Amino acid sequence: MKYLGLIRANLGRNKLRGALTGGAIMLAVVLVCLLLTMPAGLNAILDYVSNNTRISVHNKGGLVYQMPSSFTRKVRQVDGVAAAMAQTWFGGAFEEAGRVTFPNFAVEPEQVAAVYPDYPIAPEQLADFQRYRDGAIVGRQVMHKYGWKIGDRITLRSTVWPVNLDLRIVGEIASERAPMLWLSREYLDQALQAAGRSGLGTVGIIWVRASDPNRVNAIMRQIDEMSRNSDSETACETEKSFMSNFFGSLQGFVTIILIVTGLVALCIVFIAANTASMGVRERAGEIAVLKAIGFNRRVIFGTLLAEAVALSAVAGGAGVLAAIGLTRALRVFAGWSDTLGPLGSFIVTAPVIVQGVFLSLFVGMLAGVVPSYGAARKSVVQTLHEVF
Amino acid sequence: MNPDGGRNGAPLIVIRHVRRHYIRGVDDVHALDNVSLSISTGHFVAFMGPSGSGKSTLLNLVSGIDRPSDGEVFVAGQLLNDLTEDDLARWRARHVGLIFQFFNLIPVLNARDNVALPLLLTHLNKAERRQRAETALRIVGLEERLDHFPRTLSGGEQQRVAIARAIVTDPDLIVADEPTGDLDARNAEAILALLRQLKNDFGKTVVMVTHDPRALRFVDDAFHLDKGLLLEGEDAERAAAAIHLAAGGGTAAAAPRASR
Repeated sequence: MKYLGLIRANLGRNKLRGALTGGAIMLAVVLVCLLLTMPAGLNAILDYVSNNTRISVHNKGGLVYQMPSSFTRKVRQVDGVAAAMAQTWFGGAFEEAGRVTFPNFAVEPEQVAAVYPDYPIAPEQLADFQRYRDGAIVGRQVMHKYGWKIGDRITLRSTVWPVNLDLRIVGEIASERAPMLWLSREYLDQALQAAGRSGLGTVGIIWVRASDPNRVNAIMRQIDEMSRNSDSETACETEKSFMSNFFGSLQGFVTIILIVTGLVALCIVFIAANTASMGVRERAGEIAVLKAIGFNRRVIFGTLLAEAVALSAVAGGAGVLAAIGLTRALRVFAGWSDTLGPLGSFIVTAPVIVQGVFLSLFVGMLAGVVPSYGAARKSVVQTLHEVF
Repeated sequence: MNPDGGRNGAPLIVIRHVRRHYIRGVDDVHALDNVSLSISTGHFVAFMGPSGSGKSTLLNLVSGIDRPSDGEVFVAGQLLNDLTEDDLARWRARHVGLIFQFFNLIPVLNARDNVALPLLLTHLNKAERRQRAETALRIVGLEERLDHFPRTLSGGEQQRVAIARAIVTDPDLIVADEPTGDLDARNAEAILALLRQLKNDFGKTVVMVTHDPRALRFVDDAFHLDKGLLLEGEDAERAAAAIHLAAGGGTAAAAPRASR
């Protein structure tokens, strides 16, 4: 601790260089944190769903194939099923470009609370969702992205069904992990009939919540058994498995992200090491004097290394804070990215913060250790001869 | 001769048959050859001689910065030959105050913090370090410059700060390498007078390497070296007289005694 004054004074020796190096480290930490939010977002979703007892029931042939709506009722009668909710992809586009920019599904409002008790939705909003045929519940990120608020009316133009639906927003899923919109299946069914179609007789996914985690496997087996030899054989899987498969294509992208993150870290080590080396070289005379007046190798090594680590730690801390601020801004202004999917959650989780801080400490250690050791290693007489 | 650490009037520094040679490129350089001398406690002595005479090498040996190739160096009762690099560093911190030609202050520390640097190696707390540094600066006449940074001090003032740094640990020995080499005549005389004062008022043993003939008016003894050898007898007298005359002194008889 008594060397803190010396370390602090030396850190302020060349303010411009310190600021530039610190800025480079800070930017690198910001970038690394942003990159790490992507796999972290995916992992957070998978970790979150791994703790629940939800089961996805869908056509064995794949998600593009449907199941009869009546199958939902059969599923509800299976022993151990607490609730089941039919869900159909609506594929509604809000923006003029006509692209689907956030997932939106037709669901059964009266089943939401029972199937998704873990979703933070105000009870009165759930009640409104059931009360209003044209009601919609929207995830917080989507609300932020479009600046919507409860009571707003919007129109979604389906890219799947031949209907446009006027919706009133009656509730919000107050979570960053549900960037989607739910509307009423009954409303879609009536709209299809009004358009001269036969109505919504099919379902894409039936979400089931088991009453007991120990019954999940048995329920899945029983449901699949029920559909065997029918036109729509089912494939049940846990929500975690469903999400993993659904986002499986992103794993390659995640690998690339991690490689880029590693390269960024390596680059910043070189930059910081160069700065540390220059600092030590410029101060060779002072280091020689310190050695001459009795500073031993350990103290010389420790103080020089502490300088490098302190600079990196301060810059890294600032980088983590900047990353948190930036991701908040991204969530507010950019919202859900249909390209990035869960990788675009941009949530700086605790592990990301820890990794950012450790990265900065690691950069400082690695950058400082070689020049510090080099300066400490030389004998005092050798150092004095070199500089005087 | 009993190298008992300068107690009971015995010498503080005893050097016996010291050689120092090192390899520079393909050359085997003999910087010192069979040098023996002793310096009493409380004496102010100068090592003098032309460039390459070995006086700085001898100073490095006396201050524990370097170790001899052969022979023995005792300072304050400690045989320095046996000490490791880190042991020597510890020993220097406790027993030696060093003064350099170019002051070599830390530019980012003020005068007080520069002086307090060697005290970081002690167990003193911050308040004690601060108080001792201020005392040392008062001794060298810079009590008004405590918070000044080196760039705002003149050369003479910087050297005074360096002297304060050298005495702040109350060492047995003060070692100065060309302390007036970068100063004008007025400041050089003031620094030499200050070193003399440390000897007179505080009983410090001061060993100095210098080319400055003015130094002869301040030191008790001068050791003359040439080509790695310590000059003796008539050779030493001649060297002393030459320096004395170069300094504008009177007869050779008025010059300080050339010691062995």
